[in-house]
Amino acid sequence: MSGFSRRDFLMTTAGAALASGFAGSSKAATGAPKRGGTLVGTWGGFEPQSLFVPAGGGSSPYFTSTKVFERLIRLTADLKFEPVLALGIEPAEDFRSYTIKLRPNVTWHDGKPLTSDDLVFNAIQYWKPISAGVTLDALQTAEAVDPLTVVLKFKVPVPEFFLKSVLAGKAGLVIPKHIYDGSNIITNPINNTPIGTGPFKVKEWVRGSHVEYARNDTYWNAGKPYLDKLVIRWWRDPASRSAAFEAGQLDIGTFNPIPAPDIARLTATKKFVAETKGYSNSAWITSVEFNQRREIFKKREVRQALLHAIDRSFIADTVFFGRARPSLGALHFSNSIFFTKDVQDYPFDVKKAAALLDAAGYPVKAGSRFKMSLVSAGWFEENVKIGQYLKQAFEDVDITVDLAIPDRATSLKRIYTDYDYDVAVSNNSASIEPIPQTTQYYTTDGIVKGAAFRNATGYSNPKMDETVSKMAIETDEKKRVSLVHEFDKLAASDAPVLPMVDLEPVTIARSDVRDHSLTADFMGESWAEVWLDR
Amino acid sequence: MLTLFFDFARRFARNRAALVGLFLVLVVVGVAIAAPWWFPRNPLRIVGRPEIWPFMSPRYPLGTDSLGRDIAAMIAHGARTTLLIGLCASLTATIIGITVGATAAYVGGWVDELLMRLTELFQTIPNLIFVLTIVSILGQKIEYVTIAVGVVTWTPIARLTRAEFMSLRDREFVQACRAMGMGSLWIMFGEILPNALPPVIVLSSLVVAGAVLFESAVAFLGLGDPNVTSWGQLIGDGRTLIRSSWYICAVPGLAIMLTVLALNLVGDGLNDALNPKLRDR
Repeated sequence: MSGFSRRDFLMTTAGAALASGFAGSSKAATGAPKRGGTLVGTWGGFEPQSLFVPAGGGSSPYFTSTKVFERLIRLTADLKFEPVLALGIEPAEDFRSYTIKLRPNVTWHDGKPLTSDDLVFNAIQYWKPISAGVTLDALQTAEAVDPLTVVLKFKVPVPEFFLKSVLAGKAGLVIPKHIYDGSNIITNPINNTPIGTGPFKVKEWVRGSHVEYARNDTYWNAGKPYLDKLVIRWWRDPASRSAAFEAGQLDIGTFNPIPAPDIARLTATKKFVAETKGYSNSAWITSVEFNQRREIFKKREVRQALLHAIDRSFIADTVFFGRARPSLGALHFSNSIFFTKDVQDYPFDVKKAAALLDAAGYPVKAGSRFKMSLVSAGWFEENVKIGQYLKQAFEDVDITVDLAIPDRATSLKRIYTDYDYDVAVSNNSASIEPIPQTTQYYTTDGIVKGAAFRNATGYSNPKMDETVSKMAIETDEKKRVSLVHEFDKLAASDAPVLPMVDLEPVTIARSDVRDHSLTADFMGESWAEVWLDR
Repeated sequence: MLTLFFDFARRFARNRAALVGLFLVLVVVGVAIAAPWWFPRNPLRIVGRPEIWPFMSPRYPLGTDSLGRDIAAMIAHGARTTLLIGLCASLTATIIGITVGATAAYVGGWVDELLMRLTELFQTIPNLIFVLTIVSILGQKIEYVTIAVGVVTWTPIARLTRAEFMSLRDREFVQACRAMGMGSLWIMFGEILPNALPPVIVLSSLVVAGAVLFESAVAFLGLGDPNVTSWGQLIGDGRTLIRSSWYICAVPGLAIMLTVLALNLVGDGLNDALNPKLRDR
């Protein structure tokens, strides 16, 4: 636990409110930022379906939309909230209402001012029904007190860290009322040329290739952005991204853009740097899920036995080339606020696994205990190898394994819609705040057929549901931390789904790209402060 | 019969390249047959340190891949998969092709029109995309890959069979058969087919080579059956390491190249041996 208290939040929000810019970083010490230049960026994935997908849509549209849309606040690398479009967000004494003060003189790309009307529209018509979903269920009303002040009222007390996390998270983008009002936000064609308050304006999207952004000359944060032009380009596979880096066609790539063995080769030239910071609020894990609809995997002892049969260090060291760590509990190790070591661990122990399976009533009969259908989601190359490794690991405890590694669409369908698997390998990225991204894998209301990256195992435990609903309304941050620990302990010992390894994603950048990776979720940042030292 | 075979062998052996091809094919077949005795363990087992280069460790003569699996074992067992898919797919394609081609040519009329338009329909679909579509619909099982490859490669066989049948169906011996009152099926498959078969066999042997390539492409793209080892899969897995450990791609790549080359050479030899026009050159 780092020193974290409610006072910290308030002090940061109030203190930072005075400064219009952001606190200087250690990297900025390399010299005063230079204006100008074109930055070509990418990420370790493919082109989005649309530049902005209001209901979420994954990391790809999140990456492209956050250069145009901004949020009220953001989370810094040391997990403090910093003002962006809001100067302050203050809870009432009873935590049932929050007052939001907007930054003055912010304009949309089309020249219209950002006002409290926009915010009311976002809260009631965008965040609650579309982007945040059940997370903001308790939100009752949003009232504009004056052109720059809005009061959000809730049915129940809402913890401050939780609300601020939502507003600083993927669901909290602020979209213009004058463009979306009266239309269907999700299907509005403007989502391909979004208009926001951010430092970059969409200039042109060449499908199948790249999107070009022009500098927003009337950006509220005077002097920024430093870049004249930003290009986000997509490549089909990691090896061609590393070739693009070497050919000088690519300046920065987030989320494991290149094959792990190439990282050392590129950084050895000193022309490139590998940065692991900037991912704490979207911490990636690779998890194993046990389908509770199957008699065998409904038994907790079986799940625990199978976890003992997996050598997670092997996965971390060999499959991820050391860029991952064996997981402990349901939370990522980088979550310095809520992570706890005080949970049940499953060290690699084949004999123990076999003994537990014997005890659970599945002895070896004719060379096999039972048959298992193992589905490893084929969206990451690593999952192919993990699937092959797990097949072997489970065969070592005499289980007959039928492995399938379907493509992205089929994997989503088999795991999250048809529940057609016994054991599945999947991934997700979670924010520091465990509700809802982490908890929805364990709660009963997380079971939504067809909705990806939630409770697909069918696990349902009243005690778990109760703990999570307590977490949702506990406003004392210390008590809340211990509730999360309680949640984590239960998740780890029941183990319906558990992370196997916590990934440490890496950003690769040319060494003359400055001031990147400074916040808790750099990929989803506006990149206003990135500059080129050329 | 024996003299016929010797005659065939002599003509085949006249093509030196075909002998080399035959030798290579026999080696691959030998490896495939010996694999379970040579490498009794599951070839997909992780046995050592990852990325041991070939010829560095006597235990792993061809090195290990990115997970630490023995490449030699995977190549040997992969030969089984590759040959099995190649042969079965070729057999599927030949059966479909001969049936369609023979029926079209012998019956003629609207049946011919219909079957040939159908053949053309299949020919207009890009082969690899068709294979990938079938595999992604049916699922990632080795049987389905075989069927998919068979289904896309039968068209040239059908057209060739049809052409051969067309030239044979009005010959005197066929008319004699008809006059004797033989049934259509018997004439088609008992009398005409044996005469039409030699060029078809040559083409089928080339289809085996094509099927090996298709299987590799499917496995390379990660749509192969993950429960069995195959050469294409090994290349696909090693692709991201091509800058550092290129041998992971190179070893199975070489195996595929040699096998396909050898099958093509054998096809050439068969052509020389079976083509009556070259018989007494």
